[in-house]
Amino acid sequence: MRAHPDKMVTPSRPAFSELLADPEVKARFEKVRKYFFLRESTYDMSNRCNIRCDGCYYFEGDKQFARENLSPEDWRRLMKAEKARGITYVVLAGAEPSLVPELLDVCYSEMPLGSIATNGFLKIPESVGYKIHISVWGNDETSLKTRKAKNLLQKQIENYRGDPRAVFVYTFTRDNIDEVHDVAADLVYADCRLTFNVFSSPVGYEGPLRHDTESLQKTRQAMIDLLKRYPKQVLFSVYNAVAHTSPSGLHDLYSCSYPRCNPSQDIGLGRSFRQYRTDLNWDRSVACCVPDTDCADCRHYAAGSAVVTARLYRHAGDSDTFKSWLDYVDTYLAVWVMGYEKEANLCGRVIEPPPAR
Amino acid sequence: MPETKKNQGIVLRVAEIIIDELKLEDITAGTFNPDMDLVDELGIDSMDLATIALVLQDEFKITIDEDDYPKLKTVQLICEYIEEKLAAGN
Repeated sequence: MRAHPDKMVTPSRPAFSELLADPEVKARFEKVRKYFFLRESTYDMSNRCNIRCDGCYYFEGDKQFARENLSPEDWRRLMKAEKARGITYVVLAGAEPSLVPELLDVCYSEMPLGSIATNGFLKIPESVGYKIHISVWGNDETSLKTRKAKNLLQKQIENYRGDPRAVFVYTFTRDNIDEVHDVAADLVYADCRLTFNVFSSPVGYEGPLRHDTESLQKTRQAMIDLLKRYPKQVLFSVYNAVAHTSPSGLHDLYSCSYPRCNPSQDIGLGRSFRQYRTDLNWDRSVACCVPDTDCADCRHYAAGSAVVTARLYRHAGDSDTFKSWLDYVDTYLAVWVMGYEKEANLCGRVIEPPPAR
Repeated sequence: MPETKKNQGIVLRVAEIIIDELKLEDITAGTFNPDMDLVDELGIDSMDLATIALVLQDEFKITIDEDDYPKLKTVQLICEYIEEKLAAGN
């Protein structure tokens, strides 16, 4: 059944089928849509950490005071219950998951897809087949200053050199932009892959790591330069750089869909996402990927992976914007899903985030 | 809204699109329950729904705003939404 021709609307917006007419675009869309089944929740594993960093999200707010549940059987029950309510992907984070390897094993045995956010100081056993995100906040001199950890990058590389699970996540702060070039060179030389994050202030934080307009612009340029220099090892796209370094944060650009910002429970993250604390409880009013972040300043790579990806509709307005969205989703999957390999980016131009319609 | 012959045609076409996009097996447009809750009973999520909405836009030459996605809970409700859009000249 077809509508009458005089009902034709929005002539400037191409039909979805037109966007998919390019075989390369169609193939990429079919590749990424196989992962539309992913439904995430996040879990604080321990209230301990072996280093203490300036601006750490875990040690902000109330979650750091939750009782630590170290019972493997309780964690197994939780994972089974999560699977039963439709969760297909777990993000194991705060404070430092590598301190509880037996719990990581339990989670992996119940939920085969997931990732772990770690400082990389202790190696996570190879039996845990999740993606492992190793946080890098600059060179060893900067790490010593902001994380009180000696030779951290060297130790991280020793632990995860050539490990297919590992993605090194370089967090740009206002102070460490220039040193990313040397750090990236070291990582590439050591057969490591990397992606980028942008420091997003915890609520109330006004310290020296917080970005300003100038540092965001400089960060964007550094990201794009490194993407061009190491296209195989840097898991990123030009649109990733744009989305995470715009003067507006992710919430203003894309309307964050995590429960903390989104009261709707009809569908998507607002319906299924939970952020469990170490006592295995959760609170909808604070649930997002990195709780206690100042939403107005949020440019987290983890938030973007969900928030930008969810905005398929508004990125289907023209060919370059749709290609940019595909590059973003392709990057997200390569960073977060074991076995997913990133393709060459489809759009090398700077495309501004499309407005909501 | 009572199901007329006209909207029965839309119901069948919407069901076909959903079956095709989600690659559902063991179900046809004729056997698809138009009142089945697509989220609760079929388990579709926001990305699947966004894809289906884009294909429906092409098919019926209408615009489906992101904010309206939560309304599209069943084939019958999608059909009524499409009819309203067509009647209003979108």
